[in-house]
Amino acid sequence: MKRTVLMFVISALVLVSLALWALKGHIAGNAQEMIMGAIVLLVVGFAVYLGISRLRSHRGGETAEDELSKTVMRRASSLAYYISIYLWLFVMYVSDKTTLEAHSLVGAGIAAMAVVFVLCWLGVKLFGMKSE
Amino acid sequence: MNNRIKELRAKEDLSQLGLAQLVGVRRETIVFLEKGRYNPSLRLAHDIARHFRLPIEQVFLFEDDAVPTQGM
Repeated sequence: MKRTVLMFVISALVLVSLALWALKGHIAGNAQEMIMGAIVLLVVGFAVYLGISRLRSHRGGETAEDELSKTVMRRASSLAYYISIYLWLFVMYVSDKTTLEAHSLVGAGIAAMAVVFVLCWLGVKLFGMKSE
Repeated sequence: MNNRIKELRAKEDLSQLGLAQLVGVRRETIVFLEKGRYNPSLRLAHDIARHFRLPIEQVFLFEDDAVPTQGM
């Protein structure tokens, strides 16, 4: 239950930070920032989905986390890590060929890692782990 | 690996949630097991087989052993 509350608190903090950043006028509204904002919302949405799922299990008298959910997380994490190595190689390759600043590239790389993780989690969840 | 969880559960008129609660997992795990999308740990396989009062090899069937073996 503590982890579920923590997930909701962190999600809320991220959303509040994003809203404050937007309200302070730091967002120019270009395509790059829109994509970044969408990725942040995707990741927060994913965390909220997991939180609601855990909460529902808890209320239904089930355990919030079991061997399947841990295996899905472990498998998705290892797959995302593996893909991220190639992602950062790609970012390094692109860095020489773009006018983007280093911090923008690093931000894009981190955001892409988050997207890769969400996609890996969905893939593992959809296709199962029959081979294990 | 196939399994007879759905069949055994139906015999006992036990819901997926009921079995999940009895063996300490989420209902989703039972769904995954019944659809053959997840192979359980030895501990979970043991707990499920013990619930149905059957040896593991009569609940979980390997492809080359599709017919359940008789008793232990």
